[in-house]
Amino acid sequence: MTFTDDLAALRQRALAALDETTDLPEVQAWERATLGGKGELTGLLRGLGRLSAEERPEAGRAANMVKVELTEAFAGRQRVMAAADLRDRLATDAIDVTLPGRQPAVGTLHPVTEMIEELSEIFALMGFQTVYGPEVETSHYNFDQLNIPSDHPARDVWDTFLVEGEGEVVLRTHTSPMQARVMESTTPPVRVVVPGRCYRFEAQDASHEWAFHQLEGLAVDERITMADLKGVLREMARQLFGGDRRIRFRCDFFPFVEPGVDFAVDCSVCDGKGCRVCKYTGWLEMGGAGMVHPNVLRAAGYDAERYTGFAFGLGIERLVMMRHGVDDVRAFAGNDLRFLRQFAGGI
Amino acid sequence: MRWLEEIVPTGLEPRELARRMTMAGLEAERVEEVPAGWDNVFVGLVTRVDRHPDADRLNLVDVDAGEHKLRVVTGAPNIAEGQRVALALAGARLIDPYTESPTPVYKTLKPGKIRGIVSEGMVCSERELGLSDEHEGIMVLSEDAPVGAPLKAWLGDTVIEFEITPNLVHAFSIVGIARQASALTGADVRVPRRVDLHTLPGSSDVVAVDDVDLCPRLAGAVVTGVTVGPSPEWLQRRLVHAGLRPVNNLVDITNYVMLEFGQPLHAYDRRRLAGGRIVARRARPGETLETLDHQRRDLTGDMLVIADAEKPVGVAGVMGGVDSEVADDTTEILLEAAAFDMKAIRRSRTTLRLRTDASARFERGLDPNLPGDGIARALSLILAVCPGSTVTAFQDVYPEPVLPWHVTLPVSRFERVLGVAIPEPTIEETLTRLGFAPSFEGDGGERRLTVTVPTERRDVTIPEDVIEEVARVVGYDTLPETLPSGRLPAIDRALDVDWQRAVRRRLAAAGASECISYPTVGAPDLASLSGGTFDEATLVGVLDRRPAVDLLTLVNPIQAERPYLRNTLVPSLLALAAENRKHETRVALFEVGSTFRPVQGQELPDEVATLALVMSGARAVTDRFAAAGTLDYFDAKGVLESALGVDTLSAPLVFVAAEQPLPFLHPGRTADLRLGDRQVGVIGELRPDVARSVGFEDARVAVAEVDLRALFAARVTRPTGKRVPRFLPAQQDFAIVVDRSVSADAVRDALAAGAGALATGMTLFDVFEGEQIGADRKSLAWRVTFEAPDRALTDAELVKTRSRIAKVLKQRVDGVLRG
Ligand SMILES: [Zn+2]
Repeated sequence: MTFTDDLAALRQRALAALDETTDLPEVQAWERATLGGKGELTGLLRGLGRLSAEERPEAGRAANMVKVELTEAFAGRQRVMAAADLRDRLATDAIDVTLPGRQPAVGTLHPVTEMIEELSEIFALMGFQTVYGPEVETSHYNFDQLNIPSDHPARDVWDTFLVEGEGEVVLRTHTSPMQARVMESTTPPVRVVVPGRCYRFEAQDASHEWAFHQLEGLAVDERITMADLKGVLREMARQLFGGDRRIRFRCDFFPFVEPGVDFAVDCSVCDGKGCRVCKYTGWLEMGGAGMVHPNVLRAAGYDAERYTGFAFGLGIERLVMMRHGVDDVRAFAGNDLRFLRQFAGGI
Repeated sequence: MRWLEEIVPTGLEPRELARRMTMAGLEAERVEEVPAGWDNVFVGLVTRVDRHPDADRLNLVDVDAGEHKLRVVTGAPNIAEGQRVALALAGARLIDPYTESPTPVYKTLKPGKIRGIVSEGMVCSERELGLSDEHEGIMVLSEDAPVGAPLKAWLGDTVIEFEITPNLVHAFSIVGIARQASALTGADVRVPRRVDLHTLPGSSDVVAVDDVDLCPRLAGAVVTGVTVGPSPEWLQRRLVHAGLRPVNNLVDITNYVMLEFGQPLHAYDRRRLAGGRIVARRARPGETLETLDHQRRDLTGDMLVIADAEKPVGVAGVMGGVDSEVADDTTEILLEAAAFDMKAIRRSRTTLRLRTDASARFERGLDPNLPGDGIARALSLILAVCPGSTVTAFQDVYPEPVLPWHVTLPVSRFERVLGVAIPEPTIEETLTRLGFAPSFEGDGGERRLTVTVPTERRDVTIPEDVIEEVARVVGYDTLPETLPSGRLPAIDRALDVDWQRAVRRRLAAAGASECISYPTVGAPDLASLSGGTFDEATLVGVLDRRPAVDLLTLVNPIQAERPYLRNTLVPSLLALAAENRKHETRVALFEVGSTFRPVQGQELPDEVATLALVMSGARAVTDRFAAAGTLDYFDAKGVLESALGVDTLSAPLVFVAAEQPLPFLHPGRTADLRLGDRQVGVIGELRPDVARSVGFEDARVAVAEVDLRALFAARVTRPTGKRVPRFLPAQQDFAIVVDRSVSADAVRDALAAGAGALATGMTLFDVFEGEQIGADRKSLAWRVTFEAPDRALTDAELVKTRSRIAKVLKQRVDGVLRG
């Protein structure tokens, strides 16, 4: 047997073996057995040294050609097998995409919080700063500074929680005390909204809650008018309910505004035609508003001849109820996760 | 409504009138037809009455009701020819008179045979019509009832109930409402008939006033020859529709006039008044009075009373006394009409805890000119209802009559306030119809409006009041909509609130849901947090701890057992978590709210923005990926770390084993959150017995409370962006064996010190205790990330670092590097 014969036999055997491989590991095993450091071809090539000087160049060239051929064959086979392997993997890895996903626990914000944030943003767009005030308040700010002197029958309208102690301290019955506090600490122009929790001594039912949230608005400057009040409230309604909303003012009485009104927005569910949400009136009652009473301006040290202002207040829970069809105000303080989760995507 | 139409014939449908009044500020709360029903019931004339041929007690009656001429059978004993009666035809819904049910049971009338004779309809009793309980005989209508007319048109009415806000006392009467309706519709007001007080025999011995401050006016009239009996039907009916119970003609007339003119009146039986006259004075020490509700009342020196020569006979403006009450045998009365100081009345009724129709009116501040109208109207009614009665004496003590006043304003003020100018003719016409007397003067931009205000409009004193009067009648629909013009104020965002908002969002992202609970707590909530015992001296609270007696306390709490304003959010949040746990496998709740901390010498408490967190139940909602185990201390700690630990604070936020565990927390599973030297929070698991007592069946309930205000104050900077290293980090694991008592934080600090500045991250990935490493030892394994901003780290550097770490661990925590 000559070297050349051996080489030819090896080539034939190896190519046949390569053809018989069926997967990537077999191809790789073939590579080790044939082309690897301890492989057949390598072993054969070591025999080159034993050849005579005349035979060597020819044999070397032939051996190299076989090596290149086998290497290329290996690479080709490997590609085929890799492709087949990938095909298999893709096939066996297939999943039922309708199985539920791996969900990280996600909590929710309270709808009252979300509504307060939404309103703050709406009013920020109109240049109103959001400020906050204390929930435990002196009757000086809760009543006196708001043109509600003690002994005045208007005080009965707010059924007030009293705090034990020497001074006259109450749980604020509205966010309006901040009107006085804000005006005392700034000079016009003033544009603020005040969200916060308020308390009234009331029996609870589906529409009455003793601890509830309000948003107060106040604008004072040299040329603030009731038309501005209506415009600002309409803009708010448009942002909250969408579409081209209308605002209705009805004369009403609040000691700290004059003229005073209650305001309603036309129902966006039925476009004012009347439906269950608006109790077939076509209107959603939102809150009270009016022009800041000169006594309130004066009590805060403002020149009531020079400045005018408007103020409004609305109930946050009520607003969520109207916009989201919640029919019982007690759900907000109930904090049942089954209720809260309905607003997990925001309100 | 009939009453109102009599005074102001607007010709409007009740609902339309109610709507227009509501828009103008008189809110109609209810519009209701009284009584309900009465379809197919007509006024009929009895033309013939015959005996029933087969039954002695029954009559056959021919009734003519215009289009309907019927023969009906009735057992009513009082039936007679010529009577006008209520005739019900088949289909009418009537009240079944024979049921004992307290709520009316209706039945629909069908034609039927009574003893063989067809009865095509029925004549009705008052009970069947829902007018009274009377069912002895049929109801006989008055002679002027129009035969054939629907009964509804003759007797029915519509009641509109208005809500009278405190400023609307002038509209707290039919006449007052009529004036408003007149201004809105243009219909004229016809004020009901009154006697002319000047024609009455004057006297100086009927009334006297001792205290003019509290009683600026007192008018009295003596009427003799009265007969006490039931009031006329029309008067009774109007009282009933207004929700008052008829008593007798004299009392009914005083009530009627109160409704009609808004002036409360009182009638005394004059023979039971010592001296036959009354005086308005303050009560004397020790005086008492049995009021009409048969309560013996103690009177105090700041109360105004009406007294006779000897004793009080009434609490002024609130309620009269029993002794001088009008009775069946009364023949001579003293009728009183007065003006009282509103604040005095309010004081009396609060002290006596006695609220009456009269006090509700007086304490709103009535027009001192109203008693004249009131008494004149009442006398006119009494003289009409009691023929033979005469007014024998009249006296009116009114030393300082209140006169109309003026309000002056520039006409331009309308536009300044409303944002739209109102034409002068509109202003003039509107104000005039409302009873004001407007006049204009000056010219051009200087035009001024002076309004003379009638004395009943005590609510109109400033220009804005006048503007509202015009605006509400003109209608706010016409108001344009504009956005405020002029400068915008500088806006300072409330950074603390913005940050709280971020914290809330991070907590929600970390799987906790926000609650807003009630701010009151009480013994049941606080006892479980203070070791089961509770009295006013027990320290209560979590972050803020003080005796319950030092908490803010409500005088009038909604729930009597929860009178305190909370100094911790924990009890209320625990209660919500326990409640939710009944239907949730996993509960993670948080609240961001105020806690109230009274401060010595300060009127208002410190309101501290506080965060509470409660977690309990399964770690993951059951599904195919569910992680095993239940929520515990580490879950709560992790949530706090991810929600609060991302801020840049002046000192690191660390969890230190609590030195003095709170009584409700598991002593081995609670920590203080510290920021430098300052405690800013508490975290721990409930003691199992406490968990049970607050409603959990879970072994583990993790709780935390954090002072957000303190944390916010410690936020030093906003984060600075640094360039990310260009070279990839190297990671090495360090398993460190230490004594079991050494805290993980101590080991970590030693590790960090040894690793130096090149270590940029450290994660504890394994905690192990076992035989291999020796008793009372534990192994803590960290993966440390090393990186340098300017180069790739070499093996040599890492080897050097490793040996330095080994040395520092040995020194500081007696730790040994394993492996
Ligand atoms: Zn609607």
